[in-house]
Amino acid sequence: MPSLHLENVSKHFGGLKAVDEVTMEVRPGEITGLIGPNGAGKSTVVNMISGVLALTEGDITVDGVSLATDRADVVARKGVARTFQNIRLLPEATVLENVLIGFHRREEASILSQILGLPAAHRETRRFEEKTWDLLRRFRMEEYADYEAGNLAYGHQRRVEMMRAIAADPDIVLLDEPVAGMNDVESEELATIFKELAASGMALLLIEHNVGFVTRLCKQVYVLDSGRMIAAGSPETVIRDPQVIAAYIGTSGH
Amino acid sequence: MIQFYLAYQPIIDFFLLAVGFGYSQQIAFRAGVFSIATAGFAAIGSYCVAILATRTEVPIFMTVILATLLAAAVGGLLALPLARLRGAFQAIATLAFVQIILSLLLYGEGFTGGALGIVGIPREVNTWILLLVVAVTMYVLWNIGRSGMGRVFNALRQEESVASSLGVNIGKYHIIAFILSGAIGGLFGGLQSLYTFQIEPHNYGFAFIVNILTVVILGGRTTLLGPIMGALIMALLPEIARPLAENRQAVNGVILILVITFLPNGVGDEIVFWFRRRKQARQQRKRASEKEARDAVTSS
Repeated sequence: MPSLHLENVSKHFGGLKAVDEVTMEVRPGEITGLIGPNGAGKSTVVNMISGVLALTEGDITVDGVSLATDRADVVARKGVARTFQNIRLLPEATVLENVLIGFHRREEASILSQILGLPAAHRETRRFEEKTWDLLRRFRMEEYADYEAGNLAYGHQRRVEMMRAIAADPDIVLLDEPVAGMNDVESEELATIFKELAASGMALLLIEHNVGFVTRLCKQVYVLDSGRMIAAGSPETVIRDPQVIAAYIGTSGH
Repeated sequence: MIQFYLAYQPIIDFFLLAVGFGYSQQIAFRAGVFSIATAGFAAIGSYCVAILATRTEVPIFMTVILATLLAAAVGGLLALPLARLRGAFQAIATLAFVQIILSLLLYGEGFTGGALGIVGIPREVNTWILLLVVAVTMYVLWNIGRSGMGRVFNALRQEESVASSLGVNIGKYHIIAFILSGAIGGLFGGLQSLYTFQIEPHNYGFAFIVNILTVVILGGRTTLLGPIMGALIMALLPEIARPLAENRQAVNGVILILVITFLPNGVGDEIVFWFRRRKQARQQRKRASEKEARDAVTSS
């Protein structure tokens, strides 16, 4: 399974160095954490990987293939999926339809066969529907299949977004604060799912605010502060790092 | 039945043409493209047919096919410079496209007949042909709605960033939407010119744009029933409101405002949504009771 590499990645907005020379690796079969205080540049990193923002400098590769200049949809087709910090669903569509669109990059039916309604197109839709039901069962969302996504509770919306991201079996999944606003039970449920996904060989990058949640799940944790990588390593070493403590709690004697 | 048909035949034909143009307009809206280029596509289609039918020996059937293909190609090309535009800017750019087409028709006098247009087009189209073509168009749109393409269009309309994060090439699907809008617009433009004997640039001007937008806004932007309901209201309104014939524009305006305020999705879409919600509620109850049954078994 492929891994994701960032090499000296920078993003400058004019004079502001939102992300400055960040190097990191997201390995398959693991959950890698990216933490840091508000405004540290975590979401900017995700947006650069997923092709929403262009890099100022550096390179991003998956198995040696560069993504650095790819558009968002090209990155997705190369097997990098993501969720959004502020949930983005298709509000008018049902939960089922929301997950179904996640299979887009696996679609093979030609445009002509779709327009003419040939059996191949129908078969493909049915196959994706069956897979969607598998996902709904796995996330215990079957009973919500016919709800409009916009009407769901917050925790359920997060799950819909998650199902949609992993529907097409991506190699790498970027999770931008996936448990924000969830209660402990809900976030534990998602933690279990993250572990399962990692165990199946996916490379997960978990962007979080909550240090405790990250340290329990991740093997490798990177810490960003003001756009710079101030620490990297196992959770145990990272949380004892004086620079990290200073970034989170602030230092006395300034 | 025959009596009814004979009495209302022009209204029925007007209705069917409006439904066709409505679908051309709607497929763009459905994909999140705020295009009002349908008038331009219709003009291209109708002039293509008129010129070929009056000056060449091309079989009538082939002229309509060629008009459809030409308008589809123009639609696809139009999508390229417009790729980065969204919303109101798309609307303005497509309006400019319509103006360009109309100017070309006006000033290309030798070829298009200028402001007088083209007369003596054979009248080859009747209600049954229109009905057949509307049915085929609906069948194609129905297939699209149930396919991956329909899902992509829905996603693009509701949240573009989600679609691209899932691998949707937005530019490609906007081109497809423009090609479909062009093909349908050109097709019905061609049929219209084989129906009306005479065409002129003025037919595809501001009034045409407003009429077609009204069909889709009154009827609905996403369902097959939308343009049918919209065109039905537009066709029947002058009949029902005959005593108010002098104030027809005002009546149209009032109805448009009422529908936008109280049925923002359009009459047709609201009807379909109502049935859809009822079905969803039924499914929700069914799944809830299934779950209860399962829980009862596991807990006992």
